[in-house]
Formats: sequence, C-alpha cells, structure tokens
Amino acid sequence: MGPGSHPDSPPAGDWTVDELMIAVLASCFEDGDQACNGMASFLPVAAFQLAKLTHAPDLVWLAGAVGLEPRPGPIPASTLEAPLWRDALMYVEQYGDFWTLAQNGRWLQKFCVGAAQLDRFGNANNSIIGGDFHAPKVRLPGTAGLADMGSLSKQLYYWNPNHNPRSLVAEVDFVSCAGYLGGGDEREHLGLTGGPELVVTNLCVMDFEPESKHMRLRSIHPGVTLEQVLEATGFEPVLPPGGVPVTPKPSVEQVRLIREVIDPHGMRHREFRRR
Amino acid sequence: MPDGATVALGGLSMNSAPMAFVRELVRANKRDLTVVAIVAGMCVDWLVAAGCASRVVAGLVSFEGFGLAPNFRHATQSGKVAMEEYSEHLLICRLQAQARQLPFMPTVAGLGTDVPALHEASGALRIETDAATGRPYVACTPLAVDVAVVHVHEADVAGNARVNPKLIWMDSEIVNAAERTIVTAERIVDTGSFTAEPHRTSYPRFMVDAVCEAPRGAYPTSCFPEYGHDGRFFEDYLGACGSPADFANFFERRVAGPTTWGDFLAANDPQPVGDGGEVGS
Amino acid sequence: MSGAAAAVPGYGCTIDELMVVTFSRAMANDTRAFNGAVSFIPVCGYRLARRTHAPELVWAASSIAVDADPAVVGSSTLSDELWGGASMLANSPFDFWTYAQGARYNTFAFRGAQMDAYGNVNNSVIGPYDSPKVRLPGGGGMADLGCMIPRIYLWSSTHDPRTFVDRLHFRSGIGWGDGGDHRASLGMPGGPQLCITNLCVFDFEQESKRMRLASLHPGVSVDDVQAATGFEVLLPGDEVPTTAQPSTEELHILRTEVDPTGARLREF
Repeated sequence: MGPGSHPDSPPAGDWTVDELMIAVLASCFEDGDQACNGMASFLPVAAFQLAKLTHAPDLVWLAGAVGLEPRPGPIPASTLEAPLWRDALMYVEQYGDFWTLAQNGRWLQKFCVGAAQLDRFGNANNSIIGGDFHAPKVRLPGTAGLADMGSLSKQLYYWNPNHNPRSLVAEVDFVSCAGYLGGGDEREHLGLTGGPELVVTNLCVMDFEPESKHMRLRSIHPGVTLEQVLEATGFEPVLPPGGVPVTPKPSVEQVRLIREVIDPHGMRHREFRRR
Repeated sequence: MPDGATVALGGLSMNSAPMAFVRELVRANKRDLTVVAIVAGMCVDWLVAAGCASRVVAGLVSFEGFGLAPNFRHATQSGKVAMEEYSEHLLICRLQAQARQLPFMPTVAGLGTDVPALHEASGALRIETDAATGRPYVACTPLAVDVAVVHVHEADVAGNARVNPKLIWMDSEIVNAAERTIVTAERIVDTGSFTAEPHRTSYPRFMVDAVCEAPRGAYPTSCFPEYGHDGRFFEDYLGACGSPADFANFFERRVAGPTTWGDFLAANDPQPVGDGGEVGS
Repeated sequence: MSGAAAAVPGYGCTIDELMVVTFSRAMANDTRAFNGAVSFIPVCGYRLARRTHAPELVWAASSIAVDADPAVVGSSTLSDELWGGASMLANSPFDFWTYAQGARYNTFAFRGAQMDAYGNVNNSVIGPYDSPKVRLPGGGGMADLGCMIPRIYLWSSTHDPRTFVDRLHFRSGIGWGDGGDHRASLGMPGGPQLCITNLCVFDFEQESKRMRLASLHPGVSVDDVQAATGFEVLLPGDEVPTTAQPSTEELHILRTEVDPTGARLREF
C-alpha cells in the first residue's frame, strides 16, 4: 500500500490537495504508534483522526500534547486548546509526564513538523529569515518544541502546504529543528537516532536518499508536473530511477470523513491561507 | 516589580496567560523587563508594544492560528528588543537547574540545531560529551527568575492555589525557579476548598508570595475549561496593526486605557463565561 | 508497642515531653519542614510549635501532606493516617523533590542507629558493609536530604555509646561531614543545628562543627553524658545550663491536642 491509498474505497473523483496531503500523512501512522501535535497543526490533527477512523484504530493520539485519546468534535480554531481534547482519558502534565515521555525513545516516536523553511537534508527553520539572528529580516515565532523533538530520536514527518523556493531551500537560515544536518552520517555522529522520514507538500511527496540523506522525490501529486516541482524547489531533489510515480488520490471514504466528520468547518484551509 | 526585573509569565500562546497582571505592568509603565515565557503570545506582545520589555527569553512567541505577534516581530527584527531563543525543553531544563540548584541539567534536546550556539558566548548552554559513554549532551545552566506570575482558577488568602482540573502546562517550572511567585486567580475561595481536595492543589502556600483576584484574568487568552480565547480580540488587534496611529488608538482604547480590570472587560465585551468548550473565532 | 519514658525530676513531665517541647522551641516561624519514617518526636515538635509560637510553620506530613492537622498521631509517621486536614498532597516525584532540592523546605530531622560527633548518621549496617552484623533498614532519603536541607536536627531517645559513636560503620546521611568547612566545600547549605537526646541537648561548635553540650536535662551530669557518648563531648566555656522547663500550656497542648494517644512513646 503506497502513501495515501485506502484499500476499502475507490479513489475519489472530487478531491482537493489538502485532503490528499491529509491522506498521505495518515498513511504514515499505524496501530501502536503514539502521535502528538503542537500548535497550528491542522493537517496532522486531521491525519491522526483519519488514520484512527480507517486503518489505525489503535493509533494513540495525544491532542495538543495534553489530552490523551480524546473524542473531539469538529477540529476547532486552535490545535493547542480545548475543545480539541474533549473526552480525553487523561490530561498529561506537560511539566512532568510529557517531556519525560518525549525524551524516552520508546514513546511518541513519530512527530509531524511544520516550519517556514525546510532544506535538502531535512533541517527546518521556524526562527528567523535573513540577516543577523539578532536583527533578522523576518522574526518567526521560534523553535518551541521543534529543536527538542528533532533531536529526541523521533521519526519526523514534514508537511508544507506552500511548496515554493522560499520554503524548500538548499540551506535553512537557522536550524531550529535538526534533520540530517549536513547529510550523510552527520546526525548519527551526534548520537541522534531517528530523523526525517517524509516530506508532504502541496505538490509532491519526498523522502530521503538513504546514503546521502538528501531529499528525494518520491511521488508527484496528480495534475502536477515534474517541471513544476523542480521550479518550486530551491535545490535539486534526487530523482528516483525509472521515473516519478503519481501520488495516489485520497479515497471516496477518506474525503467524506475529512469533509463531514473530521473537519467540517474547514480549519485545515487556514494552513494554506497563512503561509 | 522593579524596572529591570526578570519576570516569568505562565500559560501558553493562547492559554491561561496572566493577562490582567500583564496589563497592570503596562499601565505601571515598567521598563527594561526581561520576560521569560516558554511558549508565549499576546502577553509578550503587550509588553513589547508598551515598551516594558527589553529582552524576551522564550521558545516561541506567536498568536498561533491568527498569525505572528506583530509588535514582538517588529521590535526583534529592528533589534530594539532582544530575543533570547531556546527550545521549550532547553528552557525548561534551565529553569529546572535553577529550581533544583544544580550546576546544569543535561538533555539531548536541541543537539544538532543552531540553538545551543546562540548561548555559547553567554555560557547559558554548553555542549559537552559524557566521558563514560561518549554521548554528547547540552548542559543547561540555571536561569534566575525574580518573579513568576501564573494564572489559576482558585486560590485562598494564604496562597494555596489550584489549577482546575489539574496543572497541565509548564507553569510550575517557572514557579519552582522563581524567587517570588504572584498568583492571579479567577476566584478567591476558602481554605476549606483545598483541605476538602488536597490532591488537587497545584501550588502550596509557601511557594506563593501574593494572590490577586482577577476574574477572567486570562482574557483574551483562554482559561480552560471555563472560557475560551476571544478570537475577535486577536483579529481586531492584528487588524489595528496596519498603522502606528491605528494601533496606538486601539491599544489605548482596548488594552491600556481602561482604569480597572472591569472597565477593560467592558471595553472588550467578551463572550459570557462558560463557553470554554466552544473556542471559535 | 509503646514504651515508657522516665519522669523528668522536678519538671512535672516525662522525658519524651521534654524532648518534644525542646524540639518545638527550636522551630522558628519560617520553618518549612517535612518528616520521614519513625519521626514521632519531630512530628509532635512541629505540631506543637505551630500551635504555640510558630503559627506560620509549614509541616508536610510524610513529606506529602502540606499543613496537615490530623486528630491524632498514628502508628506511623509515613502513612496517610497523618494527612488529615492537609491543604495539598504534594506529589513525591515532582513537587517534593523539587521543593527539597531548591531548599523550599528548609528543615529536616533525622536520627540514625549510629550518629557521630559531626552529626552524620548511619542507618544502613552495623559491621562491615558486605557482611554486616546487623542489616539496618537503609538510609532512605537521608543521603539525599542531608545534602539539600539547610536546617538539620537530630534526635535520639537512646543516648548510649552504641548510638553516639566515634566512627560510623557507614555514613547514610551527611551532617557536617568531616567537620570544619567540609560540608560547605561540597556546596551544601547550612548543616546540623541541634541534637536532642534523652539526656541532653547538643549544639555544634562553630569552627570544628563537633557536637557540644548545650544543656543537660534535670538530674543528668556532664559525666553521665560523657559516659553515654562514644566520642569526646565538647563543653561550652561557661557552665552547662539545664534544659528549660516546658510550660504548663505546652504540656497541656501536647497531651490533649498534638499527641493525645502518646504515639511519641513508640520511640522509647
């Protein structure tokens, strides 16, 4: 089963790219995984719920890194606030429980990262753009938990709803989140396990070439050309031998669940508006 | 709160920030504050807008889904206000080293990022290697905090304080690290309310130096589960940022101008309390 | 399991009561204390101080129950019997150990099966560590808390040469360490303040940090104390005073409110 496919339901005729991205992200999470989300993470939150409603009912979701296994209603305006964690089994304390769990490699092994810049080795930047750190061209919100989760043995899944040469760059202006650093075994040398696994954008899906750890095109979304992807990318991604496959469309059932059950108010569209 | 103090604020970007207290810092025209806030938003933006803060020590400052914090952004881009950036856990580790009076707290969080190097010159963070295992780690040195300010649901006159239903955010990290702690509370209750459920007390009286009653004291951020954030305030605030004159007018009318906290609330007309489950914007 | 305590001649009370009152009077109003296992004398002392001269004193029963005010002291000082009336049950892994490490709690009392002249204690083994003659319960939190808490108090209801030894068989908890500035050089705050026994009260000589006779209980002589002590007892420059007499009010509160069932006698 490739990313985004759904065995029980035919491909949708009517779908949009946000729904495709959610379906691809959902396919990365399986029964037995634990997933948590941070702020402004509408696509990951939709993906976790989609996974739970389809192929991964035993995926454990820690909503807002607070509410364990909630049964939320429609996605609200904030992914770091009530009512996202309605009917949770437990409120996990940030100060003691969460950061202890997060530091232990056994738990919360997969983490979704959204950031303003992402580079060819999967390093992410959400701190500053351009200029000196202390007088930057653009001051972004800050690393928050990215610098932590990136170094804590997690498998990292990036989402980027606005794939362009400013957001997918050869080298980030500041490493807020450690990916494969300079590539190769540089990450390993620091004693860090895990690392970037997949990048899901509004144009394509990329993974990382195992040796060089350079970003590699894995599939292109339906209706998008290779030229468009290359033009929108600030570096040359590695191309897979034998041509680039097309990303599977979301299924009829996946689209229905996203639109009717998971996010009827369309909060996921905020991510596209914002960037 | 003397000028030049290091003040740590609780809450998150959109949750349970001690806004009533922050507004009073603005009104008192405090200067040269170092503001420590692990994950922050409007509280920092007010203090920057009013010229109270010269330094922000944080993991993140934003209005989450509403966008970037405009005054913070401009002041840090122009170099007027210094941003001392950490990740959440690196900052927590510095606070824990302070709270536990340790030379440092180790963590591998932040390794490989550019964050530790920001603090190499000051010595606040050091990358070291464990001699026995060869594993690198970040040594996070103590971060001294003069005053912590946190918002809670209930407190008694002795200073016992309760976050309802329980303490879930990182406020205790700043309380434990601070020389003094000021609690703002939605309600002042009898001590009997604590002795009836001592397992739910969040801070004991000996950790709390002062209590201020501040109903709806986290507005416009939320105070789960009693009320949600006021999305309209955030949008109006951002909408006024088009020109300095518009913003100054908005800030005076809707933030700093009203005399009492009640006047402030009246000027902003929040939704009735009890709609915390329906966060909207 | 309660024992009996000897009467204090001329004081209208028994030795346990004199020890509790002496302990209580040493507690300042800014005391923030907690207690460990089998700590009846300190527990009664904290409770009495709070009811008399130190109303603001904080006592976390069993290190858990802040401001507890149980109706009676039960058969254990480390169980929920002692938690009645608390305003907070502070969780042990995060709250308690953070408060202790940060010296938010400033007062702790411990006793050991052995204690030395510098206020170090042994509650681990008698004899060689790997083949001990007696395996004792263990230090518990002594090794930790001795390092963290600035105001340390010691007590013993069995003042004899087996308890007060020249050399501990094992140092389970640190007082003044090797004496002098040893404790300070390890970066530890404060140190032992007093040791209250069934014969006398010791304080610690400022330079050497050795136990020094501060007062003798009525009917006890310097020779009695020296004979019961396995190290040389330092004497103050002046004559050794007699331990002050408990007031009628203190005894009344102790007997009727603090410990009406006499749990403190379990230490005798």
